[in-house]
This record gives sequence, structure tokens and C-alpha cells, in this order.
Amino acid sequence: MQRTMAASTRSAGEITIVDLVGQIDLGSSPALRKTLLNSLKTTNHMAINLGGVSYIDSSGIASLVEVLKEAQNTKKRLVLFGVGGAVFQVLQLTRLTGIFEIAQTEEQVLHG
Amino acid sequence: MDFHLKLVVPSDPRFLSIARHVVSEVSAICGLPDEARQGVTLALDEAVANVIRHAYKNRNDQEIELDCQANDERIVFRLLDEGEPPDPARICGQPLDDVSLSGRGTHLMRAIMDEMSYKQTSGKNELRLVKNLPRAQVSPAGG
Repeated sequence: MQRTMAASTRSAGEITIVDLVGQIDLGSSPALRKTLLNSLKTTNHMAINLGGVSYIDSSGIASLVEVLKEAQNTKKRLVLFGVGGAVFQVLQLTRLTGIFEIAQTEEQVLHG
Repeated sequence: MDFHLKLVVPSDPRFLSIARHVVSEVSAICGLPDEARQGVTLALDEAVANVIRHAYKNRNDQEIELDCQANDERIVFRLLDEGEPPDPARICGQPLDDVSLSGRGTHLMRAIMDEMSYKQTSGKNELRLVKNLPRAQVSPAGG
């Protein structure tokens, strides 16, 4: 299991996809926030792939929320996909499942 | 089976993964199922992160003591630090009525753990988090 967090960005048509892997905690969430906000500047539709995230805490969720707010403020679309058990559990416990657009798969993001 | 484990970690976010690993393994030894184990790991991670951010104001050169005491019925985690005492309102957790970003860590701890309390002990802040165990679930030695 990857201990640190890593992010990579790719494009699929007009959609920017950010693939995240590893563990997101107080140590890595500032870098996550910065990466996502920078990526959002260059696109109108961003999808965050959480399929490789093995752990996330409230600081990681806070980073996602902050990026969502920025997307909403700039009239851009943000979608999460690959939301596995550990990530979904934290979203549920923090009662934030309803504020994000969540897709099951990348396929749904691209063609949904 | 009773056991006691104590760990002192620097107040540096890079060491959160070590604390998580210890808590996760302690939970496994005590027989917690996977989902509960993940929850306890998250709760303790949130607690340690709160000490780093709020008690130590993000200073990375301080110490946080993680004490785990387990028996057949429960695991008692105690976090001790010598930073600033917490705001009592923060310990109580915030209502999650909106998408505010603060207070969710404390909310997670309260939602996951069976007991949560704070006191000052010998000049240190002590946060006590308790998880009750399913009946007779402590794994045998070597398991």
C-alpha cells in the first residue's frame, strides 16, 4: 500500500482527470489542495479519481470541499469517481456525500 | 488478554502514518472487524492531527504520547500532549448543519468511538478515546 500521496493529471477530451493514489492526511492534504486548485484553473470540467486512495481523513475531505467551492464559484464542474469504501465511509460520517457529484466509474464521467 | 502499549511520536504530520499503523494493528490484535478497525484508525489519526494543529499550533518539534490499554472488553487510547489546552466547545464537536470545514475531525471521533473525554493530567492535556470490543475477540498470541 502506497504510504504517501501522489497525483497525476491527464486529459480526456475536455475533461481534466486527476488521479490520486496513496494516503491523504494532514501531511499531504495541503499539497493535494494546491494540485487540485491549480488543475481547476485550466479546465471547466474536472474529475478526481479516488480509486487509488487507501486512506483519507477530514483534512483531505476539507481540501476536496474547498476545491468544490472554487469550482462552484467559477461555474465549473467537479466530479469524484472511484470512491472506495474507506473514502466513502469518511464522506458518510462527515455527511458530505450529498454535496459532491459522484460517479461510479471513469466511463460514467466521460459518457454520463 | 490484557496489554499495554505506549508510543511517543513527534508532532510532525509525516509521522501520522506510524500512529495509524500502530492503532490499526492494535485494533486487529483486539479482534475488531475491518470496518471498525478503519474507523478507530481514522478517529485516532484525527485526534493526533488535532494535537498537531491546535495544541502545538503546527510546531513539528514537540511530542505526542499515544497510550493503548486493552482488555477483553475495550481498548482505551489516551493521547497526551503539553500544548495549549483545547477550547471546550471544540471538544464537544460542531453540529454538521452546513459545509463548514472546521470541527469535522472532532465529529468523526465522537461518531466512531464509544467514549471520548478530556482532562488535564499533571499539566498535560489528556484525550481519552474508548472503543468497546465485540465479545471475547482478542486474537491468540501469534495470530
